Amino acid sequence: MKRLQLHRWSSSVLSPRARTGSRVQQHLHSGVRHQSTASPLQSEASSQEEPFLEEAPVDEGLARHIRSIRFKRPEIQYPSPPVEAARSSAKLAALHARLYLPSRLPLETLARTLVDASADPNPHFNNESLVTLGHDLLTYYTSEHLLCTYPRLPLAVIFSSMYAYAGPKSLAAMAKEWGVEAATLPGGRLTQFRRIDPGAEVPGSAEKREPRQQMGRKIFYDNEYGDAPSGPVDRNAGVSAEQASSDFVRAVMGAIYLHAGRPAAKRFFEQHFLSRQLNISSLFSFSQPARDLNRLCARENFEQPVAKIISETGRRSRSPVFVIGIFSGQDKLGEGAGSSLFEGRERAAVAALKGWYLYSPLSVRVPSSMEEEGAAPWKPVHVDLGEVIV
Amino acid sequence: MATSMVPKRPFLSLPFLLPSWTDSLALGSRRNQSSYRRTKQRLRVKPDASFGPSRQGHDQIIFNPPSSAPSVYHTPSKFLPPGDARKTLRAENVARPDADNLPGVYKSTEKKYHLSTAQIEEIRQLRLSDPMTWSRHKLAKRFECSQMFIAMVCEASPEKKEIQKQVTQAIQSRWGPKRRMAREDRQLRRETWGRDA
Repeated sequence: MKRLQLHRWSSSVLSPRARTGSRVQQHLHSGVRHQSTASPLQSEASSQEEPFLEEAPVDEGLARHIRSIRFKRPEIQYPSPPVEAARSSAKLAALHARLYLPSRLPLETLARTLVDASADPNPHFNNESLVTLGHDLLTYYTSEHLLCTYPRLPLAVIFSSMYAYAGPKSLAAMAKEWGVEAATLPGGRLTQFRRIDPGAEVPGSAEKREPRQQMGRKIFYDNEYGDAPSGPVDRNAGVSAEQASSDFVRAVMGAIYLHAGRPAAKRFFEQHFLSRQLNISSLFSFSQPARDLNRLCARENFEQPVAKIISETGRRSRSPVFVIGIFSGQDKLGEGAGSSLFEGRERAAVAALKGWYLYSPLSVRVPSSMEEEGAAPWKPVHVDLGEVIV
Repeated sequence: MATSMVPKRPFLSLPFLLPSWTDSLALGSRRNQSSYRRTKQRLRVKPDASFGPSRQGHDQIIFNPPSSAPSVYHTPSKFLPPGDARKTLRAENVARPDADNLPGVYKSTEKKYHLSTAQIEEIRQLRLSDPMTWSRHKLAKRFECSQMFIAMVCEASPEKKEIQKQVTQAIQSRWGPKRRMAREDRQLRRETWGRDA
């Protein structure tokens, strides 16, 4: 019979005396649990009970010993770890090296980018200012890249690509890829924040995408992702893990800008944000492509678009295929295949419209490239009439 | 009697009635195409140039156009702005399909622009006064224009819209689950066209 592994059983099944393992193991075990379950803030606010006591009710002497260690440790006297602790953290140094951060960015600042305002309300020790700076830089670099690379993109597509490049979900995914985990006890190497209560409504998640008619308003009233701006966030109520980790990424961007300057910040942006592949052509959605194309050709003084059959097979069969091209005069604007003439025409019109909107100039320069030393004189970028309005 | 019976069947299918020298002819015409050797011979096509050995001494360009649709990131020449270098680069030696000789998807109709303001007023008047008789279809027939034009010029009255809605609902209420699902699927499929999915 297979031997039972008793030490894997939970404490509800086993009495404390029946546990296997030596005293040292118990000590280590309770220490680890204590680090990852309760932060001093939470234990002060919510309950007086000691988390490691309910987990492992060992003898009194050991419990007193652990409690005394906990109050002696300087790390947990303050809501965020002391500045000197950053130098001794191996994880911070590893993160610094892994991200290939400039050496001018000190570990102390990197430690500060990890402290959310919900964990430490003191603005001298949390990352709030760095987040603001990093967010502005990120959205500026992203928007100038999008507008100069694809000057004809419709507004809705710009908003969604901004969200894809620098939105909170992407940034949180990046923090995860960088190997940054969330902590509830200050340790100098993990994102520190107060978690939002379970079941509470996450601010900024319930908003609905507004109908297309109000797209023009979004430039003036809404944020860079085309969403209605949420009011001031109450940090005392806690933040979600997604928001905390996305704020960390923004704070890193701001910290690099402050310590290493503009070129380093831009390089960091190109290496970590622009290098992420985004298929912009999949963000489009047309409801009446043929009509839109008609209006576009009328606006640009092209000949009226005409759908023609380039090739077909199995017209009388169950699954025919028609390859339809849309021509304006002698020029082919788009091509699409479908199982009916109508579908082929619609797909061809979609392809033609995407061909128009996804135009990209040959040599793309962004305005911030003028900040480089010895930059060539600025040539104005291509500015388009805008999207087709029917 | 016997001679009158014979012509009912094809003469060639009864070779024993024919003289002996026609035997080979009759057999030859009866032979069908499904023999293995013949099929094999038919399939023995010359391989494409790109698979063969390269011609010695000459440079050659092998161009196998992909069977997929062109990428949407490849902007059509017509859509390039005037200053773009690609516009002049691409102008020559581009194999275009001859647009004039391709069959159209729909019958191309020349626009006539023949309706006057008074006639358009009349269309509106008719549609308002008796919407049940003067539907879009009938108005288009009478004024020799498209139904689209009628819809651009005037709109049905709210009562007519309400009636039409009820009629549609009555029809849809008779649909069973299969038809309803098929219609919904069709709608979803149409939406994927616009997303190019």
